[in-house]
Amino acid sequence: MKRTVLPSAFRLLGVIAILLVGRSVYSQNITVQGKVTSQGSTTGTPGVSVSVQGTTTGAVTDENGQYKLSNVPSQATLVFSYIGYKKVTEEVNGRRQINIVLEPESSSLNQLVVIGYGTTKKKDLTGAISSVNVAKLQNENRTSVQDALRSNIPGLSVGVVSTAKPGGSLEIRGQNSLNAGNSPLIVVDGVIYYGALSDINPQDVATVDVLKDASAAAVYGAKSASGVILITTKKGQVGKPIINFNTNIAIATMEINQPVYQGEDFIKWRTDVENSIHGFAEKPYQFNDPRQLPSDVSLDDWLAYDGSQGDPVDVWLTRLNFKPVEIANYKKGQVINWYKMMFQNAVQQNYTLSLSGATDKLNYYWSGGYLNNKGIVVGDKYSTIQSRLKLEAEVTKFLTVGINTQFADRDESGVPLNWGLIVNNSPYGSMYNDDSSDYRYSPQDDPGGGSRNPLLGPKYTDRLKKYYTLNSIIYGKVTLPFDITYTVNFTPEFEWYQYFNHNFSQDPDHQKTGGDAERDNHTIYQWQVDNILSWNKTFNDHHFEVTLLANSEKYQYWENDMKANDFDPSDVLSYHNMGAAVNASISSDDEYSTGAALMGRLFYSYKDRYMLTLSMRKDGYSAFGQKYPWAQFPAAALGWVFTQEPFFKSSWLDYGKLRLSYGVNGNRDIGRYSALSNLSTGKYLEINPDGTVNVVSQLYVNQMQNTDLKWERTAAYNIGLDFSVFHDIVDGSIEVYKGKTTNLLVSRALPDVVGFSNVQTNLGEVDNKGLEITLNTHNINHPNFTWNSSLNFSLNRNSIVHLYGNMVDITDSTGKVIGQRESDDITNKWFIGHPIDAIWDIKVQGVYQSDEADAAARYGQKPGDFKLQDVNDDGKYTNDDRQFLGYSKPRFQWTFRNDFTFYKNFDLSLLIYSYWGYMASFNQAKNRDGFPDRTDAYVHPYWTPEHPSNTYARVYSSDGGASYNVYRNRNFIRLDNIALGYTFPKPLLHKASIQDFKVYFSVKNAALYAPDWENWDPDWDPNVGPGPTPRTYTLGFNLTL
Amino acid sequence: MMIMNTNYKRMTNRLLLAAIAVLMGTGCQKSWLTPKPESIYTPEQTYTTAAALQDALVSCERNLRYEWYGDGAPIISQMIFSDVAVDGISDKSGPAQDLNLDITPDAITSGNDNADHNRIYWYWEQSYYRLKYANTVLAYINVPKWDTTDAAQLAQRNALIGSAYFFRAYTYYELCNNFGNVPYAGKLYSSPKLDFQTVDRKVILEEMKKEMEYAVQWVPDGVPKGEVTKGACQHMLTKINLALGDFDDAIKSATDLINGGTYHLMTDRFGVDANDTSHNVIWDLHRPANKILPQNTEGLMYVIDLDGYKNNGDYGGGMSTMRQALPNWYKSINTPAGHNGMTDKVGVEYDLDTKYGRGIGRCRGTWYSTHEIWSDDPGDLRHAPGNWMTMEDLVYNEPSLKGSDPYYGKHLQLYTDDGKTLLCADTTRNWFDWPHYKLFVPDNENSTNNGGHTSWYVFRLAETYLLRAEAYYWKGDLVNAAKDINEVRKRAHATRMIDPGEVNIGTILDERARELYYEEPRHTEMVRISYLFAQTGKADYKGRTYNMNEFSTKNFWYDRIMDLTEFYNKGKFTIHGDEYTMSPYHVLWPVPQSAIDANVNGHINQNEGYNGSQNNVAPLEELPQD
Repeated sequence: MKRTVLPSAFRLLGVIAILLVGRSVYSQNITVQGKVTSQGSTTGTPGVSVSVQGTTTGAVTDENGQYKLSNVPSQATLVFSYIGYKKVTEEVNGRRQINIVLEPESSSLNQLVVIGYGTTKKKDLTGAISSVNVAKLQNENRTSVQDALRSNIPGLSVGVVSTAKPGGSLEIRGQNSLNAGNSPLIVVDGVIYYGALSDINPQDVATVDVLKDASAAAVYGAKSASGVILITTKKGQVGKPIINFNTNIAIATMEINQPVYQGEDFIKWRTDVENSIHGFAEKPYQFNDPRQLPSDVSLDDWLAYDGSQGDPVDVWLTRLNFKPVEIANYKKGQVINWYKMMFQNAVQQNYTLSLSGATDKLNYYWSGGYLNNKGIVVGDKYSTIQSRLKLEAEVTKFLTVGINTQFADRDESGVPLNWGLIVNNSPYGSMYNDDSSDYRYSPQDDPGGGSRNPLLGPKYTDRLKKYYTLNSIIYGKVTLPFDITYTVNFTPEFEWYQYFNHNFSQDPDHQKTGGDAERDNHTIYQWQVDNILSWNKTFNDHHFEVTLLANSEKYQYWENDMKANDFDPSDVLSYHNMGAAVNASISSDDEYSTGAALMGRLFYSYKDRYMLTLSMRKDGYSAFGQKYPWAQFPAAALGWVFTQEPFFKSSWLDYGKLRLSYGVNGNRDIGRYSALSNLSTGKYLEINPDGTVNVVSQLYVNQMQNTDLKWERTAAYNIGLDFSVFHDIVDGSIEVYKGKTTNLLVSRALPDVVGFSNVQTNLGEVDNKGLEITLNTHNINHPNFTWNSSLNFSLNRNSIVHLYGNMVDITDSTGKVIGQRESDDITNKWFIGHPIDAIWDIKVQGVYQSDEADAAARYGQKPGDFKLQDVNDDGKYTNDDRQFLGYSKPRFQWTFRNDFTFYKNFDLSLLIYSYWGYMASFNQAKNRDGFPDRTDAYVHPYWTPEHPSNTYARVYSSDGGASYNVYRNRNFIRLDNIALGYTFPKPLLHKASIQDFKVYFSVKNAALYAPDWENWDPDWDPNVGPGPTPRTYTLGFNLTL
Repeated sequence: MMIMNTNYKRMTNRLLLAAIAVLMGTGCQKSWLTPKPESIYTPEQTYTTAAALQDALVSCERNLRYEWYGDGAPIISQMIFSDVAVDGISDKSGPAQDLNLDITPDAITSGNDNADHNRIYWYWEQSYYRLKYANTVLAYINVPKWDTTDAAQLAQRNALIGSAYFFRAYTYYELCNNFGNVPYAGKLYSSPKLDFQTVDRKVILEEMKKEMEYAVQWVPDGVPKGEVTKGACQHMLTKINLALGDFDDAIKSATDLINGGTYHLMTDRFGVDANDTSHNVIWDLHRPANKILPQNTEGLMYVIDLDGYKNNGDYGGGMSTMRQALPNWYKSINTPAGHNGMTDKVGVEYDLDTKYGRGIGRCRGTWYSTHEIWSDDPGDLRHAPGNWMTMEDLVYNEPSLKGSDPYYGKHLQLYTDDGKTLLCADTTRNWFDWPHYKLFVPDNENSTNNGGHTSWYVFRLAETYLLRAEAYYWKGDLVNAAKDINEVRKRAHATRMIDPGEVNIGTILDERARELYYEEPRHTEMVRISYLFAQTGKADYKGRTYNMNEFSTKNFWYDRIMDLTEFYNKGKFTIHGDEYTMSPYHVLWPVPQSAIDANVNGHINQNEGYNGSQNNVAPLEELPQD
């Protein structure tokens, strides 16, 4: 802030004077006027709100930046606020003329936002873009880019990850495609990035911008239908070289436990299992402990049920299907807790060292990172080394060249224990063979039931699984006459992959084959060239930006795979000597695709008040190369800062901008060869007449071709309102959108008779509409305590409008045709007028109770089985009985974030998010997963005549010939993150020549509220399914020299 | 400064030109976006040689193998929808036991196409896939440059056509005798077709007869085992002739095969155990190593699987015969002393798992197939000790009993010595006899002995005799019918020969059950016979007559199963409480609802008795042209 009236010393004296003399002396009212300008400009700034603190008196500067306030107490304080500039508070002190120069605020509307092939100021945006300043999330130990985005962008869903490898799937504004991918396009430092997000060190990331509406994304045409995520990495700052070192250590623990039966509970449960299998008590107490029989059942009678003799405990446990080893362990009181063995408190470490700086001709940034994570499942581990080098040199005043290169080495060789065995293994099994020579293959000697010693497989597995990636951007920028800039980017991306695995013959599962080895390698090389011409010009109040792009890309993939078994003389050399195998098979897969694009964009703004963006992109992709490789994607957007209009007067609305956009995006996220007919090959054997063996190849048409396949298109409107009210205490935005996706890339179900079960084709229409609200509030702003909140809310609704265009008759109750409607795709469960995620199934009404045996018998069921609604009451369960029961995607989601600062040096943040209104199948309620009579099981309630339930069926319940799922609500609210940081005071640090030093502590997945969900975490990793998720405690520090 | 400026200008001009060149060069070349499938064979580029068309036939051969292989192999569905077996998995719902409840068009889905349910969906879906593979050969047959004036080339071309015809006939024969009237896939479709109509099965079978007559003319014998042979075509033609009621033609085609000189029943010892006197010719006939020996003259058509070809042509995991069709003998069986008597652990003193295999009792032979058909001929090698196993042949083998239970190592008994107490808790799943000589396949891959790699007979000459016997029976020539049945019996060293006076369809079905258990598609064959009863009006062995109008409510298939079964509709429950039920309409399997739903522009009929059949339209009476 620059003050133009009094030097600070005088001002200080004034304040002292006021304090000494007291307010009442000067309590007369005056008229104050003046001019507001912004830094670096002599013309006045219109639309600045000027108010008297603590009152409702206020004014807005006119077109020349002039304001006038009458009836102002002479000792009042004036507040000048304008979006994009720092707020100025000025004491009047009896003055009648106060001129102010506003200083731009770096973190607000003047902040640069990446818009695709360029940047713009936030205030010039016409599209719906959300940004995350990743550096600000330092305290929270975000270990991946996805993690940094989670719950920070309204409308963006980030999947959770349970493994040691961080990550998570991304989805913007819901699902608009039925079969093609829905993951957004990633752009790193202005160039489309096809590499793995896990290879980007989040410590290198400065900001992430998410283009959500069609117009913003349309400049990326291809693949942008699912939104665009723009990642900007850090660069050097002018000044002395800066070294930054960030490290943290974390402990991951089990967030939720899903226990299995142990000890006596296991035996009680097995008793109920046998009772349930045998229809409950044909022979009284047959499956109960013979040492606790009631007086009316004698031990002899009890033994005679199946002619048993000898030790009644043996008989009893045999009836419970215990194997001899289990009986022996029961008698010895030996119980194994498989659950405890599977999971651990895992240590995770993360180090990043960076060196950066800039001179006027050279900007450099280098970082090296190392992350070493163990997972909460024993044996799960992941480590990566990442390095980034960015150099940019201004060679001459018209030429700048640079390189931005990223290397990563990912090690995913871990062999996690198969934790799913917690339900397969009996607590009364044995860890070792009877002679203690090795782990027991099946702890309860029942391998057929799926039980395995979890330690045996990993012990005899030798695995190397590594990715090496090198992603670079090499660029040159030329400044041409007439304010034209030409940029060329060349972006080579490499990936080398090794998967070497050997299962030794000591593992009984691989014994008879003499060990099984595999060596799978692939290499990916893809490149892109972007040629960008841009022109930037301001004539008085007119500002123009023109961007032209020509792009081409090529992808190549080469894979070799060899598998071998039966090694001679032995398999001790693991996968290192494949030639020693008696049996070997090889395969290879090479893929190739090309793309190209041309794009033009015009941005025009008048007086920073009216903005217009027009763009057109033409995209080509070889997967559509047979007939329709090209597609065009136009977009237009308007912005209007209505608060800058002279006629607009409001004492509470500081800033308001309306945005309207329309755009078309494409989706090409299908297989490279989906449109082609594809012959499958495989081996088969024939025996020659002389008895020798012929290995022959089969060859058949596996995929129906579709030469007409073309781009999927999404055309969408977006209306946005950006606002700031109550003198910038509250700001935010509201977005409303509606999109229509046509030519959907679907895998259409065909009658099997045609010889193909489906074909890849363009059909139908899906509409999406939604609402996103962002609110940021600055609740308290006191030197020793600040409190800021932000609330995001989003909801998305989609609906299938058309599918294949096949019309069917609508008939009334008498069978008379009264109209036509488009037919649904029952095979894929897609229904016209319903969302893609609609759940259509038979409704569970409860459980048949003991007195409902007759009703149950009509469907071949028994008390304890689920009572299903037979809608047409015909005694059969058919498609006619299915109804819409709910949705499998959240109906709405919200995020609430609070940031506090105490005593300047402490910051605390709390983040809560919630997904609500969705369901998932929970067939565990049927109580018949796997082999309940041979294995263990999760502790879930089950129906028995003595302990009836209306939500859980009996063990081994019957479906009555219906095929259906049981559903439960997945709704949850999660306290995602608590983070506390302490920044050491600067004076202290400077003595030690330290610029900055910060210590932080955070808890991730701190708490969860899920009222209806009973199977691990409701917010599971979609690649894994429900299972253990970690809660992570992190302690770290960040040092800047 | 001047120099600077000119340089600057020149440079920028050059860069601009370069930029424009790049813009034009990359964006606008037409060939740039041409798809380039590098590791994918496309039909046009590939089906250009006789060898490639032969590979298309290999797809048919390989597809056919699935019918007998793996967990819950499709052949088991054929058996449990017949008189020879039921699904013995008794501890859960899902297996096809309560057929009235479980066999519905909606339940026959790809999701239920697994060992825990049934394989009706497999027979539907894979049949049409196999037809696609065969139709591929016919679609591309004229692409290779054939010189049809050259006899050898003509023969090669026509043999390819004939082999494709064989797979079409094989497949339609099964479709028409499992599902009745079905849609006809006449060619290789290269674009979606959604207007299939159901075609009368007789129309389809007549077309297949023509194709098989062509095949018999052109397909040679002496080709590698696994490929289609002339003998297989003659056998297939016989089946089609029978299905059409063309009994004279059936006798002729069978006789041509039997008298052709290439194939003979194996009546003498041969192969790996030929010198082991404890075995016999029936044992030899079914040894994995012997089936494919050059001197084996009985096999007409095979599916091939061998040890030592893992991931390289074998059937992954092996065929699993023992797991499927042996009783779950290691469970719930007590010694008379009251101890749990059995274990499936390998390496114990009495290692029954390795010696006989580890069964789970899925394919549970009925009393009919395990006792009734064997009751009056003790000499029959197919039921002789060593070949045939009874539960009493096993011994109590749980090692912990050694020294503590006097019955350890003794033979099993079903009751205590006083005969009062049953010692087996689940006699459906855990206690039944089985044909060891056929099902025993050493397992060199799995940790338990499920049944490993072996080739399997699709057709062998013994069945040709029984087909001809049946043709004679329908014609009323019982002397010749008895003669053919007795040919098969003689080879099995049966002592009691069938008298012409006692030949009826039951006699033939009994002999088929003895000879072809786990080989023949029993449901298919019984349905074919049921159609013949309904079409001819001939009375069966109980004097019952049938007609086509009531086929789904009154048919020979249902009546025969009711005559013989101790399970279906006899009030028999599994221990889990599921009742074995069956209805006459199950004679034909339901068409999967998904096929009807996806065929939006036409109507595929549902079989009578199932939901949806009320919407049926009359089947086509001629083959559709497209």
